[in-house]
Amino acid sequence: MMSWPAPAVVRWLILAVWLALWELLPMTGLLPELFLPALSKTLGVLYLDRQIYFAALLITLYEVACSMLIACGLGILVGALIGGIALLRELLLPVFSSLYAVPIVILYPIFTAWFGIGSSSKIAFAGIYGFFPVMLSTAAGIRTIEPQFLLAARSMGASLPQLVTRVIIPASLPTVFAGLRLGGALTIIGVVVSEMLTASAGIGYLVTLNRTILDSPRVFAGILAILVLAIAYYMMARALERRMVVWQAAGRQQRLAPRLGSAAMPAPTAA
Amino acid sequence: MQHLANLTELRGGAAEPAIAVDGLSHVYAGADGGVAALVDIRLAVGKGRFVVIVGPSGCGKTSLLMMLAGLRQASQGSILCLGRPMPLPDPQRVGVIFQEASLFPWLTALDNIEFPLSLRGVPRAERRQRATAMLSLVGLEGFGERYPHELSGGMKQRVSIARGLIQDPPLLLMDEPFAALDEQTRMTMGHELLRIWSTTNKTVVFVTHSLTEAVYLADEVLVMSARPGRIVDHIAVTLPRPRRYDMMATSLFGQLRDRIWQQIRKLPDGA
Repeated sequence: MMSWPAPAVVRWLILAVWLALWELLPMTGLLPELFLPALSKTLGVLYLDRQIYFAALLITLYEVACSMLIACGLGILVGALIGGIALLRELLLPVFSSLYAVPIVILYPIFTAWFGIGSSSKIAFAGIYGFFPVMLSTAAGIRTIEPQFLLAARSMGASLPQLVTRVIIPASLPTVFAGLRLGGALTIIGVVVSEMLTASAGIGYLVTLNRTILDSPRVFAGILAILVLAIAYYMMARALERRMVVWQAAGRQQRLAPRLGSAAMPAPTAA
Repeated sequence: MQHLANLTELRGGAAEPAIAVDGLSHVYAGADGGVAALVDIRLAVGKGRFVVIVGPSGCGKTSLLMMLAGLRQASQGSILCLGRPMPLPDPQRVGVIFQEASLFPWLTALDNIEFPLSLRGVPRAERRQRATAMLSLVGLEGFGERYPHELSGGMKQRVSIARGLIQDPPLLLMDEPFAALDEQTRMTMGHELLRIWSTTNKTVVFVTHSLTEAVYLADEVLVMSARPGRIVDHIAVTLPRPRRYDMMATSLFGQLRDRIWQQIRKLPDGA
């Protein structure tokens, strides 16, 4: 029997094959450069225009950081209120849940009308885009706290502020984190998409600009920059999550994952 | 000083029960006028006694326990724990031990045991010292840094007991603490509990479904009827202490268990 290589090895292999194909397919002439410029050419253009791309990346990063702050801050605040107060939940949760399925990108023209075509409209749009998963998972995290935890804490003499800081917050952390990871990813999507639609700066803008003049290597250079940004974000989020939620039992994660997963499905297509 | 000591003894002397419940009734509010849960409960638990409450599901035995703990208020009647009412939980007077699921999964075994002390702001060094002592009392030396999901069901319940004992409350209330354990672990844990009880001189009120467990553990067994719950029998268990597993094979054990079973079978719900 031949044993299979470890999954990590396979992952790196797939990446290597993918990069090799990216380099080789255009070189052999199988694919015209307009469709796929070779990896080396893309990297070469990226190096040549590094100042332009770096400046654009800084703008995109700034917009992503601001919209993440809005999405996470507002999402946790509203989610905590909705999860904690039954009246608010009954009033607002159905509204928010159905809004989540709406492709918010159709509202982007309104955002440009209100905030102009500069960074503000991107920050506002992506902030709202990322707000929903954070808010919904925070509400779910608070709502699904084991009632025994609260009862036990009360029997041990916990006051209301102690219940919040010592039980409710740590108990809802895993679910909140799952929402933050998803919401953060959506703000990146939101910023890039809005930059591609109407903008004068940022990586998304560079991609659109170069596409209109059929400069394929520069389009792919922009795509590569965003890819690296998204992967870096994801790895940072996972590392932070692992540090903060060491205790997370496998059972709880499995119970929550399908629900969050299915709720997340409409979002990427909406973009 | 001599006469003062005598006076205290006269006032709260050996005759005064640890728990005195009189005319306790409870109705759950509802649209149709409410559901009667408990009717005219009277009981007195002597200091240092081990009292077990058995009854069919939904008979209100857990409600009664929650009221003794100050976690819920009865519609009518009075409860005195060590001579004083229980308007709120008072962990230094009454400790509550729940099922294993009430351990906080984000805290290690030691941190879980320390939790009630940290709520009161006991300094860290003292907390650690007392929790470590509790950990060895329940036979879990060396497991203090484990998280609940890294412990077996029986070990989790030992941690739960240690958490209930750490404030050294004279009264201990236990709500079906071993219900989630398998039969063998359950027997071992019952025996362990008796060992701990015999070294700590506490008054225990223990709620269970298991007739064998009731007879094995108790000085006295109270049998409750189906909803609305009332106490229908009071059985003194005259088996000698310390209890041994082989006592379960004696005819006295069988007679006592049969008497409880007859009482429960008579109930309209049939249990």
